[in-house]
Amino acid sequence: MKRSLRTIAAIGVAAALVAGASGCSTAEKQISIAFVMGAESDPFFQAMKVGAEAEAKAEGVKLIWQGDASHYDVATEVPIVDNVIAQKPDGLVLIPTDPNGLQASSDKAVAAGIAVANVDTHVADLSKVVTFITGDNGDGGSKAAKAIADKIGYKAGGHYQVVVGLTSATATTNVARLEGFKAAIASDYPGMEIMDVAYSASNPQTAASNVNNWLTKYPNLSGIFAIDGTNASGAAAALQAKNLTGKIALVGYDAYPANVDLIKQGVFTALIAQDPAAEARLAIKTLVDYIKNKKSPATRDVVIPNVTLDAMTSAADLVKYTYVATK
Amino acid sequence: MTDSKQQLSVKDRARSLVGNQTSLLILVMIVLAGVFTAFSNGTFLSTGVFSTILTDWGALILLAVGQTLVVISGGIDLSVGSTVSLSTVVSGFVLVKMMHLDSTVTGSAAWGPLAIAAVVAVLTGLLVGAINAVLINVLKIVPFIATLSTFGAAAGFAIIISGGMPLQGPTDYSLINPIRIPGIDVRTFDTGLLSPMVILMMIVITIVGLYLHKARFGLYTYAIGSNAFAARAAGINVTRHTAKIYLVSGALSGLAGFYAYVRLGGGSPSSGAGMELYAIAATVIGGASLMGGIGRMWGTAFGTLILFTVQSGLLMTGVSPDWKQIVVAILIAAAVAVQTLQKKNGAR
Repeated sequence: MKRSLRTIAAIGVAAALVAGASGCSTAEKQISIAFVMGAESDPFFQAMKVGAEAEAKAEGVKLIWQGDASHYDVATEVPIVDNVIAQKPDGLVLIPTDPNGLQASSDKAVAAGIAVANVDTHVADLSKVVTFITGDNGDGGSKAAKAIADKIGYKAGGHYQVVVGLTSATATTNVARLEGFKAAIASDYPGMEIMDVAYSASNPQTAASNVNNWLTKYPNLSGIFAIDGTNASGAAAALQAKNLTGKIALVGYDAYPANVDLIKQGVFTALIAQDPAAEARLAIKTLVDYIKNKKSPATRDVVIPNVTLDAMTSAADLVKYTYVATK
Repeated sequence: MTDSKQQLSVKDRARSLVGNQTSLLILVMIVLAGVFTAFSNGTFLSTGVFSTILTDWGALILLAVGQTLVVISGGIDLSVGSTVSLSTVVSGFVLVKMMHLDSTVTGSAAWGPLAIAAVVAVLTGLLVGAINAVLINVLKIVPFIATLSTFGAAAGFAIIISGGMPLQGPTDYSLINPIRIPGIDVRTFDTGLLSPMVILMMIVITIVGLYLHKARFGLYTYAIGSNAFAARAAGINVTRHTAKIYLVSGALSGLAGFYAYVRLGGGSPSSGAGMELYAIAATVIGGASLMGGIGRMWGTAFGTLILFTVQSGLLMTGVSPDWKQIVVAILIAAAVAVQTLQKKNGAR
């Protein structure tokens, strides 16, 4: 009796050990990556979400997507980041709405053992950040200048009038794109003159109105640079209403599906597309690599170039770079 | 014997001008137009500019008219701009996502879908208006707070439904383009002043104006705004009438959403951004009092016209657009000052 009991006990313990050991190896914790972005409503960030979700699925990591629904500012972002840190993710992809305002939160995350990446914008002190991935707004502005110059058949010595439609005088993306545009004109296309800039405060109807006024004020207008999606929509509508499509070079920004279709119809000369999905994918990939293998990326700062979508772009590329909204 | 022929002093003439709100507004407009023409080397004075002003006027006027009704009744409606965004997006959604039409449908082939867009837009506006009415009448929330919440909710839904991007669908741009008037000497790009949509807006506000100034609906509105308590004592169903007013404001905002759809060729989720403040500004410049009981449709119509005269004028004269806010603020302050003067002189 005693021997059989001992045998059963031994087998039981062995079984428990085996079960325990195998249980441990299959119950490995799934890596979780939090993604805190600016304003959910912005199509740029919506497109980023598509890329983030795809990469998270491919890597088998859990994605925690957070951010204010519509406000791009520090006051709403800081509490969200704090909340996310409390959930103890393995990694955090942060889009800081302000370089100084989010520094403390970023450092807090690093101190808590969370690997931090910055996308699109960055905190002031990047020394503890694993990677920083961004598009280049200045480059976008200069690509726009080139697209207009190509369309109007720019020749040295000629004089061409252009105008720029912006949303605000202070939004950093707007400012950077305008600066890039101006720099390209100064160095490569000195015959192009920026006659005026006007603001639409995110309302495409105001953008359309600005274009209408410009068409009256500058009868010899050659080109319009619409610096973001809402300006592009308003400008396109204004030109179509006046049957001026193709006669005035219109370059817009951001590959909204509706505007991409208008390239084919000749309304847009070109659209400058960012690649928010690629930025998100690379950020998550780099972080996962770092978390799993403790490997820092070769270069910390990565710039994902803008793509100029125009009549020559292949159908496949158009689909690839068009911003997709999540369902 | 007294001399019955009395000379009117300059002071008396000025006083009577101030007393007549509409002529004062016309005077302000003429002065502004004169200043802008002078500083723009004459380019302001063109059908191109005037038709742009009228197109912009058409976009805002329904909001301003609805706001006038609400303000006369003693309330306020902050949700109108977001209602424009929401109704234009819902129209776009119905045409593009549900009926699977796109922007290749143009010209008269688009009129059928556009009619559907109009109905959908107005219904959406009515829905927002109904929610406002319930919040104000049933939950007894003050109009400022009630419409502030619908302002946020409507804007949010507009973004959710559209994915933050415009939904381009069937449209006929000739409806928003000024109609050619043969024989008129015009600047390079346009030839007319009024587009079919602007004419439609004029018809709509004439109807609303008639209701305000000639019908019992208007009488009740003024009564409630002057003294809601007395109005109720006089037998007016204040609750029901208040509901009607917010429903009308909502419906008009919805129709303005349809205007935005035609103008932009689709439903853009930010096409109403900021419009509520300009609607209120136009109403106040037009002579309405935020205290209630005072306001006229002509005033609002001219107030709206003045706003866009300023917008176009500043661009044509090359002044920084930031000045627009400042000029509008001065106009509002002046309008309120005139109102106070009128009260003092007993002209109202």
